[in-house]
Amino acid sequence: MAWFARKQKNYIPHEEAPLHPEQSEHICIEQVDLQRAGDPFFQQISLRWNEKRVGLIGNNGSGKSTLVRLLNGLMMPEQGRVSVFGYDTVKQAALMPALVGFIFQNPDHQMIFPTVAEELAFGCEQLGQTTQEARASALALLREQGIESWADRPVTQLSEGQKQRVCILAVLIMKPRLLILDEPFSSLDLPTRRLLLQLIHNSDTHVLLISHDLSVYDEFDRLIWMEKGQIRADGTPDEVISRYIDAVNSSVND
Amino acid sequence: MISLYLSHSSWLHRWPAGIKLGLLAGCSMMILPVVRLDLMIALLLATGLLYTTLGDRGWRHLEMLRPLLPFLAVIMLFHLWAASLYEGSVSVLRLVIMFLLANLITLTTRMSDMMAALQPVFRPFQWLGLSARSLALAVALMVRFAPVLVMVMNNLDEAWRARGGRKHKWRLIVPLIIQAIRLSDHVAEALTARGGSSGITVRPQKNQEITNNEQR
Repeated sequence: MAWFARKQKNYIPHEEAPLHPEQSEHICIEQVDLQRAGDPFFQQISLRWNEKRVGLIGNNGSGKSTLVRLLNGLMMPEQGRVSVFGYDTVKQAALMPALVGFIFQNPDHQMIFPTVAEELAFGCEQLGQTTQEARASALALLREQGIESWADRPVTQLSEGQKQRVCILAVLIMKPRLLILDEPFSSLDLPTRRLLLQLIHNSDTHVLLISHDLSVYDEFDRLIWMEKGQIRADGTPDEVISRYIDAVNSSVND
Repeated sequence: MISLYLSHSSWLHRWPAGIKLGLLAGCSMMILPVVRLDLMIALLLATGLLYTTLGDRGWRHLEMLRPLLPFLAVIMLFHLWAASLYEGSVSVLRLVIMFLLANLITLTTRMSDMMAALQPVFRPFQWLGLSARSLALAVALMVRFAPVLVMVMNNLDEAWRARGGRKHKWRLIVPLIIQAIRLSDHVAEALTARGGSSGITVRPQKNQEITNNEQR
């Protein structure tokens, strides 16, 4: 009955030392094995980066969502090791929510509270602020974004784009060092995509973005292409996108 | 819907939630013993007047009574059968007034303030190991996802009718339940990604043991 535990314990990364200090500047996946539905899926997959803006592409079912879920401990490697800035995602799993922010595809799956301010304040409470402090932080962020009037709006009344913006703010307010976005733009129009991309670019955190819209990777430092649980290509966005498009064209023409 | 909160401000918004809830309890106690129809009608008019003070076309919110009408009709019928029209009218009006007063508070009180005001009420549950925060979260989740489930139901209904389904709408119940369970999986994952609450987490079992050990 851990469910009804009396107190919420808050974990803040800078109060605990990373388990792998030699990797404290990097996000690191080392020789990871993982099964999917009983079959081996990732086999000795390794990746390491410290670029600020990294993209991840690949067809449906290629393993993108699985890979990013390894990075915040929602999934665990069967073999190998995953660490984010030196923090082990398995042994230091409790630190992950404050370290790694995660945006899902559908904002309706992500928003837990009925109004915008409560949604933002939740993250602050998770980091140990009192209810009043958390509400003040939430209002401050909304003011900074010029959307103070949203504070007490029911989230059901927001448009899809507005909802996703609230989701991103609700995660950014926790000041994660790595922000992972799993197809966040899939149901949004072009102006909203641009606005949210701007919001992401303005933030100071490392970003890992999954998207099927290849135009969002213009200002990215590195792009990784996955296929069937393997890294197919890894390099600058221009290079990887042209290889990917060539491969798609030839497979469709076959 | 359940999330009825009015975001614009009125005089009633500015009152503390605790006082409003206390007054509601007091009013309800006072209305309960009233058995005179003329008094009930006067009280109903007074309650209606309160709605008009909510600001621009505040009386429109009186239409929230509509979904209640069938139930009120049943109660009325029961009274006609068991007692008289007079008594039936009194008890129906009593329910209407209490509903409208309670609804007035829902309209003008933020959910988080309501939960904060109710914290002392939850205190006995803490003795059973239930944290007030878990309860607050449960209520928030309910308010948040009731409209989402209605939306899911509408989508299913649309898909059903787009393919020619018309009768037997009850068949949508099973897909609705499946969608609701899937939705809850997603929500649990999202909640875990943001640190969970009061030990609620969907991280793999092995992890849980490790964090539990660390907590000890």
